[in-house]
Amino acid sequence: MKPSARKPNWNVLGLLPAHLIMVLTLIIPIGIIIVVSFSTRGPYGGFEYVFTTAPYKQLLFNEGWTGELEFNPQYLIVVARTLVLSAVTTSICLLLSFPVAYFIALRRPTIKVLLIYLVTLPFWVSMIVRVYSWIIILGKDGVIEKTLRGVGLVDNMGSLLFGNTAMLVGLVYSYIPLMILPIFASIEKLDPALIEASHDLYGNRLITLRRVILPLTRPGMIAGAILVFVPSLGAVLEPTLLGGGKTMMMGNLIQLQFGGARNWPLGAAIAIVLMAAVMIFLVFQGLRSMRIEGLERAS
Amino acid sequence: MFKNPRVTSLVVASALGLAFTVSAHAEGKLSIYAWADSIAPDVVAKFEKETGIDVTVDAFSSNEDLLTKLQAGSSGYDIVTPSQHFVKIMIDSGLLEDIGASSMAAYQQILPEWQKPWWDPTGNYSIPLAFGNAGYTVNRDVYKGPVDSWKTYFEPPAELQGKIASLAQPDEVISAAQNYLGIKYCSEDPQEMKRVLDLLQAQKPYVAAYSSDNIENRIGGGEVGAHFWWDGNSMRVRRNDKANVEYAMPKEGLVGWLDSYVVPKGAANIDNAKKFIDFMAEIDNATDEYNYYGHSSPVQIDEAKALYSKENAPELFPTVPVKMGEACSPAAQELVTKVWTQLLQ
Repeated sequence: MKPSARKPNWNVLGLLPAHLIMVLTLIIPIGIIIVVSFSTRGPYGGFEYVFTTAPYKQLLFNEGWTGELEFNPQYLIVVARTLVLSAVTTSICLLLSFPVAYFIALRRPTIKVLLIYLVTLPFWVSMIVRVYSWIIILGKDGVIEKTLRGVGLVDNMGSLLFGNTAMLVGLVYSYIPLMILPIFASIEKLDPALIEASHDLYGNRLITLRRVILPLTRPGMIAGAILVFVPSLGAVLEPTLLGGGKTMMMGNLIQLQFGGARNWPLGAAIAIVLMAAVMIFLVFQGLRSMRIEGLERAS
Repeated sequence: MFKNPRVTSLVVASALGLAFTVSAHAEGKLSIYAWADSIAPDVVAKFEKETGIDVTVDAFSSNEDLLTKLQAGSSGYDIVTPSQHFVKIMIDSGLLEDIGASSMAAYQQILPEWQKPWWDPTGNYSIPLAFGNAGYTVNRDVYKGPVDSWKTYFEPPAELQGKIASLAQPDEVISAAQNYLGIKYCSEDPQEMKRVLDLLQAQKPYVAAYSSDNIENRIGGGEVGAHFWWDGNSMRVRRNDKANVEYAMPKEGLVGWLDSYVVPKGAANIDNAKKFIDFMAEIDNATDEYNYYGHSSPVQIDEAKALYSKENAPELFPTVPVKMGEACSPAAQELVTKVWTQLLQ
């Protein structure tokens, strides 16, 4: 029997501050965005409280150059590009993080603490400063070019800045600590006896990795993937500063709607779609990890 | 325009108006929101010393950012400095305080040609701060050819292909393209705007970046050979950083701008704001401000103490027509957005 059945439940009161913060900083702002996304745009930006679904229709249909309403995938292209680049970022982070996290987890405690501290160190510096530093590293006469020229590998190479590569470098660099930490946590919890057992059962290194280590650290990888994928979707700095702003990501598109385009409702609608995409992704991942846990318990 | 923005305020949350701005509403305070590096710190310090008013200056990097902030309500600022077309939009939208500018002392200092302009025909709302134009700058280490036309920029020769940079916002870039194509600003004709799009799309493969940040390093250091930019900024990089750059004088015309001091509706310290505006227009302070900012002054300055002349700062004295940017109708603005979205989709 639950204790709450007999005693008054003080948990609710105790959690009140948390609920208040959630409502004030999460629910109400999202509510405002939803309201704006169904409002009519003002002539010079802003919005008026007149209900319309036009912003959502604009996502797919626009007036063409001849003035007729036609299907226009321009925003869908931006959404698709954002999803692909975020997925690539997440994959690269995952591939790089696992060995790093594994390495750190196997060190002596003092060194382990030091290494984890080093992983989190970049968070002490402003995001803008960190992204800017990549301009100096990748740019013309930058650290990389000077080094390569110094050892005589290249004569005159083009700029590494501005393009998908530079943008991916920035995204991976920005978010990789968020991948390393949860994977590290799950590897640390891994019982070494299980690995020994695998070897005792004639599992070689590859089989041990595939059948024992990877399945047991999957929750950490899933958590890391979510932590990297979600902020990548909304990234604005990296596409602008390192990518050169030649193609838009969703963050840039939203910014354009609130700025130059003076179309707040459309900007809000895109933000809602972005959020919905994230939610669907999270629910999907949540179901998957529940299924995995269920399987583990069943076996 | 986006004069010399060091750091972009790109956070979407602030654009959504969700950010709470901490503002100074107490007596003896003044909050200014101005273009990055546009207000001379020495002159501000002098004002603080003489009046005892505590001044804070925050920076914005685009008119659009500023407009969005004012529309979101309670910006907490007492003075902001939009460009001419945005002054008109803000007056029309009721976002500005009527400060009776034409009866202020500062008004007497304004050069005749800038009194009661089309964006503030009653002269009630604004006192001008600086004016200039938008064009493009070339790095002479990269490109040696002629710079007498927008053709060099929009249809670049081989030396500049892949070494062109544009701005991150459409406002002035599209006006420049309209100058080149001989189309009037704020056109509501889709066919004309389609020509603008075609021109920009043909240019895009040669563009390295669309970015309004960090311009001085990109063009000064030769990362790109040509960059969309402003007259005074180009002059400062040439003079202060000894960069080998030249500001182009395209015969089709530069895009003019003029920034003004205005007071947002409901500002807490209107009297202090007016005091500051009057102070900045006093001839000595206006001269110091001119020497610091490096853009032309629409108020009287002491020519004897002015740092810049036709000889040492030709950027500030254009030899080609300058056409002031206009406030577009919503229909025209929609076409501008359409061009830009399709360009970068």
